[in-house]
Amino acid sequence: MGAWPTAAPTRAPYRSRFWRTLWTNAIVAPKTTLGFMRIDFVLGEIFVIPLTQMVFFVFVVAFSYAGASASEIAEQISYVAIGNAVATVAYASIFSVCQTTDSEKQLGTMEHLLVSPANRTALYFGRGFVPILISIGSVTMGLVYAVLFFGVTVAPGSELVIAVSVTLTAFSMVGFGLLLGGVALYLRTSIVLGNIFLFIGLLVSGVNFPISSLPYPVQVASYAFPLTWGVAAIRSAIGGTGLAGMEVLWLGLALSGLAAYGLSIALWGTFEHRAMTTGSIARF
Amino acid sequence: MATVTTSTPDWSGRRSTLASIRLAVLTFLADPQWLIPSMIAPIVFGFVSYELFLGSPDLVVYVILGAGMMSMWGQTLYGSGWATGQDRNLGTLEPTLSAPTPYLFVVLGRILWNVVSGLIGIALVFVVVVAVSGTVPSIDNPLAFTVLFLFTMFTLAAVGTVFAAAYVYTRYAGFIQNVGEFAFYIGTGCMFPVIILPFWTNPIALFFPPSWALDALRYAAIPGYVGFSWGLGWDVVGGIGTTVAYLLIAGVVFRRVERHVLEVGNLQEY
Repeated sequence: MGAWPTAAPTRAPYRSRFWRTLWTNAIVAPKTTLGFMRIDFVLGEIFVIPLTQMVFFVFVVAFSYAGASASEIAEQISYVAIGNAVATVAYASIFSVCQTTDSEKQLGTMEHLLVSPANRTALYFGRGFVPILISIGSVTMGLVYAVLFFGVTVAPGSELVIAVSVTLTAFSMVGFGLLLGGVALYLRTSIVLGNIFLFIGLLVSGVNFPISSLPYPVQVASYAFPLTWGVAAIRSAIGGTGLAGMEVLWLGLALSGLAAYGLSIALWGTFEHRAMTTGSIARF
Repeated sequence: MATVTTSTPDWSGRRSTLASIRLAVLTFLADPQWLIPSMIAPIVFGFVSYELFLGSPDLVVYVILGAGMMSMWGQTLYGSGWATGQDRNLGTLEPTLSAPTPYLFVVLGRILWNVVSGLIGIALVFVVVVAVSGTVPSIDNPLAFTVLFLFTMFTLAAVGTVFAAAYVYTRYAGFIQNVGEFAFYIGTGCMFPVIILPFWTNPIALFFPPSWALDALRYAAIPGYVGFSWGLGWDVVGGIGTTVAYLLIAGVVFRRVERHVLEVGNLQEY
């Protein structure tokens, strides 16, 4: 009899490379787990929804201010048009992104994903890449409509400030969407959560009326939502506030976004644990 | 030689529709969370509009009717589309279409329930708006209002049936629902009279039975309402005419769609 076979040399555990995971997810997620990423939806999100949403609320304003002076009506229309142009960011950043967990559950890939050595941070951020681009597209198109159809005037030389504000808003809102996606891990579905946060901004973020008209506790809570900062920043930028004047708004926007990203990464372990213990990991 | 006996099909439209309604109600009771997604938007839009209307007591009825209308629209659009999409995903669309019962009656039952369940949205908005404004809106002619409200629901069901026929045929039901949501709210004048829209949009709005019905409902509910110049009577006539046209179209389209998708064999594509 021969000797016992020697044990195979042990290898260091496989570690997926951060950038590879990030990039793969950025490319693959729109085709698999992100919601509403078919090309017709994406074109609708960028070109159709901003216009129809703005038209709806602009006519509500036109109807309610029927007896007001022309300048007052124009001012209100301008306010609502800008607010709703920015609010369309939520379709890609919140509604699409927070459905990733639902899709994983429905496709039966969630369990496999959780036992894989893929870097969670790379996995998470990668999924947000395309929604950030689509969010930028929808807000930009909304602002173009605001100028073309609703009489919004952009202060000369404010393009760069607007571009930075729009990009920061898209980045922060996708972070918030990822956080909701994590919470949805131990919910049965993310659809309810996605729908609530898709539209709640219209009420609490200064999209259609100043947040000062809301009850004080709601005003305070609204600043935890990146959209509130985003709407304020883009309004200021369109009004001609220079780089120096934008510091506080950009800081608030960046912090609310970073807090959302940070929480989504930090709490992912908790979400996983809760989902495993409640069995919601495989329930949809 | 054996004789072949023919028998009448073992179904009736009424029984099929009632069975479909019953199933829709049971499904809803088993999993009522699906009502929430399509109700959130109308309720939020209702509150936003109330705020934009500056809390004017004259416009409270607009908010309640508008949010209710949007809630029922949402349920009709999403509910009927979602049900067909779900049938497609779960692989039950083919057997359902192959059953002796025409699919039209299955869909009709679902849509009728969807429209009725949209009433929960109107109830919620009513309670909150009344609580916030502190005024209970009064209605001049409650009987006419009730009849016209039921008629409005029926017009929505008629539109939903035509949409459902299209949803069987297309994989783009989700696109129509999500991208078209605001367009339907605008086109049928949910939160404001259609006449304040540019004139060229008015003929388009009149293609939809709910535009007529909602205008008639506002004439009955809001004193001094200025809607279509022809007034309540012709609104009702127009609403009935377009609703009948929609139901006829739905019948024809369903028959053709059923035949076509069975011939092509693409029912399971999604």
